[in-house]
Amino acid sequence: MSAASNGQIGAVVDRDLTTRRRVRQASAESGARPTFLHDVSAEELTDRLAVTKREFGCCLVIDDAYSALRTRINRLANIGDVISSAPHRALLETSTGGVVADEEVLPFAPESLDLVLSNLTLHLTNDTPGTLIQIRRALKPDGLFSASLFGSETLTELRQSLLAAEAEAAGGVSPRVLPFPDIRDLGSLLQRAGFALPVTDQDRLTVRYDTMFDLMRDLRLMGLANSLFQRSRHPSKRSLFLRAAEIYAERYSDRDGRIRATFDYVYLSGWAPHESQQLPARRGSANVSMKDALEGRDR
Amino acid sequence: MDEAKTIAQPDPKLLELLVCPLTKATLRYDREAQELISVKAKLAYPIRDGIPIMLPSEARELED
Repeated sequence: MSAASNGQIGAVVDRDLTTRRRVRQASAESGARPTFLHDVSAEELTDRLAVTKREFGCCLVIDDAYSALRTRINRLANIGDVISSAPHRALLETSTGGVVADEEVLPFAPESLDLVLSNLTLHLTNDTPGTLIQIRRALKPDGLFSASLFGSETLTELRQSLLAAEAEAAGGVSPRVLPFPDIRDLGSLLQRAGFALPVTDQDRLTVRYDTMFDLMRDLRLMGLANSLFQRSRHPSKRSLFLRAAEIYAERYSDRDGRIRATFDYVYLSGWAPHESQQLPARRGSANVSMKDALEGRDR
Repeated sequence: MDEAKTIAQPDPKLLELLVCPLTKATLRYDREAQELISVKAKLAYPIRDGIPIMLPSEARELED
């Protein structure tokens, strides 16, 4: 399977590779999969929907890993039909109606959906602006897009430790940790994609592990191992990771010796424009001068 | 005949929402072949066990 974006110039993430890895994990019989990262943001997105005073008739959940979102939003009263999409059939809950689709080339008709949700998928898109535009177009007027993704500070300790170890050993570095997007850029992307009332906010989760290797094991199980096109294709020496683990423990451990890993959750939401929404006043429509207003002379 | 009926059919409500992911044009549903046809893109997207596979890479190319 080759996703359209993999052929695109300047693609950063090898999306086919991430999908293949996730399929392999999903079909592996044994072993508990760590779902806590997805659970945290699915819970938050669900809480936000619960207090949104709107009925959403037709809802799309994009690539809902571990069905974390779907199992939660099913208990909300204001959600109607739910469609799931996933990049591979093995990642789709077959008991519930779904569609195999790539979020970078969405197959939904213009103005067909009331709500689009995505839980920790957008940081793995190459064409993030294009994805957001397609989501906005698929929404009915006054439809809502609500998503979580990993922001720029995610895995910063791992990134620094690997960089430092590789610089020491090889005198050069290769990228090993995904460049996660900055929250400010995401806000402007939402705006450029034509969303009204865009909101972004951030939440940090620190997870503690015994060693860097325990962290990397979890990342692999979650399909979050290095999927960068620019990744080094040579097998890395074990000594590199041993040194990186040392640096990690030196720089980012607590008093009890356990290491810290930061997960920087960014939450995005925006509405497809509709005339009922609040808008900025038209240019030139003010009847008080800015000077007077600033000097408090308007009363 | 009975066997044919047990083939999982896609949700008609879902089919109404789907368009060609490349051209965003409407699709024609071929019930016999279990395919969704995009005339503009000359592609037929398969439906397997009632699940539409809307990936251009999985679609069958149509001849003129």
